[in-house]
This record gives sequence, C-alpha cells and structure tokens, in this order.
Amino acid sequence: MPVKKRRPWLKKILIGILVIVVILAGVYWYYATEKFSDTKTTKADFTISAQDFIAEFNKDLKAANEKYTDKIIVLNGKVSDVESADTTVNIKFVDPATASYAIFAFQSQHLVEAKSVKAGDSISIKGSCSGGIFSQILETTAISFKRSTLNN
Amino acid sequence: MKKTILFASFLALTGGLFAQKKITTSATVKFDASTSIDNLPKAENKTVIASLNTSTGAIAFEAAVKNFAFSNPMMQDHFNGGSWMESDKYSTFTYKGNITDLSAVDFTKDGTYQVKTDGILSIKGVEKKLSTPATITVNGGTITANADFSVKLSDYGIGGAPVDGGKVSKEPKINVTAELK
Repeated sequence: MPVKKRRPWLKKILIGILVIVVILAGVYWYYATEKFSDTKTTKADFTISAQDFIAEFNKDLKAANEKYTDKIIVLNGKVSDVESADTTVNIKFVDPATASYAIFAFQSQHLVEAKSVKAGDSISIKGSCSGGIFSQILETTAISFKRSTLNN
Repeated sequence: MKKTILFASFLALTGGLFAQKKITTSATVKFDASTSIDNLPKAENKTVIASLNTSTGAIAFEAAVKNFAFSNPMMQDHFNGGSWMESDKYSTFTYKGNITDLSAVDFTKDGTYQVKTDGILSIKGVEKKLSTPATITVNGGTITANADFSVKLSDYGIGGAPVDGGKVSKEPKINVTAELK
C-alpha cells in the first residue's frame, strides 16, 4: 500500500491565500458600502465670509480652485436668494458688483432646514466645495457646493 | 425731455414684462448608470445653470462635473478620475440646442406641452448631437422643463473594466429638470 505523501507547506500556502482573499474582500466591501459622513459633524478646512470667498475666485479662478476644491468650507454672509431645486431649495450668496455667486445644494438629511432660510437672513453654512467655473451662459463665476448644511 | 423719460420708462416696463430669456442656477441633472450588479453609480447635481429663450426656443445647460453628488465616496472619486470624467481637466458638461417645434408651446398660457429638442451635448470635450423629446409646463409665469434621455458612454470615450464587466451601465439614464423664471 503506497504511503500518502504529506505536504504541510501546501496547506500553509492555501490558508495564506484564503486569508488574503478574505482581507481584500473585506476592504472592498468597506469602501463599496461606505457613505459620506454628515457634513454637520465634519471639521471645516476653511471659514470665510461669503463676499471674501467669491472675491478670491473673481481675482484668480485657478488659484482659488486649487485652494478650495474638495474641501469642507464654512461661509458666513447674508443670503441673496433661495432657489427652487427639484423638490428642495438651494441657498445662494451673490456678489452684487460682478453677479458671481456661491450656491449650496443640501445634504439629504438637512433638506428641511434649508427650507427655513429666507433671502436676507444672515447665516453660517457649511458644505463640500466643488470649485468654481466661468459660466458661458451667465458670463460670470459660479461656485458650487454639495452635501451642505446650516452651520449650527 | 418729458418724451425721452416716457420712452425710457416704456422700454424698461416692456423689457421687464416681456423678458424672453428665462434662467435658473438650480436646475437638476440626475445620472443613473446602476446595473443589476451594482447599485452605486448614480448621482445628482442640483446647481446646474440653464437658460431658455422663449422667443427663439434656444436652450442651454451648463453643469459643473464636480458637483455631482454620489452617496459613496469611492464611486465619486472614480467618476471624477482619469478613466471617467477627468473633471480637473473637463470641468463642465454643456448642452446647447433648440426647441424645434416652438409653435407647440404658448408661454403665455398655463398648460403642459410636449416638444422636440435638438442640440449638441459636450462631455469631456467631445461634442455629439442629441435629439430628445421634452415636456414644458407653464404655470403662473414659471416655466418648468423636463427631459429624460440616455447617452452612450462609448460616444464620449468613456469605458474600462467597470463598464465592460457590467458594473456600470453602457447607456446611463439622464433626467433634467429646470424651473425657469
């Protein structure tokens, strides 16, 4: 009767591969199911007045985009306009001299508080800056924010 | 002098009453490239700039690519990254077109009107013709435009393993809504 050859190293390799596969699957699952955190509890990278913020984009769009894009920003200022956006509203600060503006779309869990804001209100608002573009339609600078919330 | 003032007042008044270019900076574009394998590739941008000239039927949209909000951070990074939208290089999606059967709409009368549109959609610097039906609703001076269509990603040079592997739809569905004043 032939003696079965034992290969303990093969077992170790197979267990090692299995562990690596489980770890990789776990890492992928973590990133694939991750959600953006609540902006209200996220630390801001910059806090600035709305007019100074818009002025920086008007002065040098490229430099301002490099500084602020993909950052969490708190803007303080007087609301120029509240615009209907699908089933909710956006909050807008406008520079009256140039018509350049910063506009905030709200995070889903903060849509109700957005509707409490009126034009003329002095507010503090926090959002994820998507940068500014020079609008060919409006011929002015438009700076947009997503996942925003009132900063209170 | 009186005549000049009267004439200027008349111009200002009629200009306000019959303003032909309607604009919003809060149009919404929803993008859905989800498949049966992956529910993540969908997003919306609620700060899209839109204009409609009620006299000529000219329509235009301009969307900042980076302001498409996804629920998942990894998906948003992929969307803006090098093999997809390259949003650092191509910062906007634009559409310029016309309502081709403008006579089908009475902008002075409340109602819902079905129209045809024809124009050029630009994504990643690639311009392609886009023809799609749209719905115009007039209600108390506010005009709401709505359109549903799909785009072929390959037309704009967008592809890669997630598309080939069925995790991202080859023809994402797009919905556009604009409330113009």
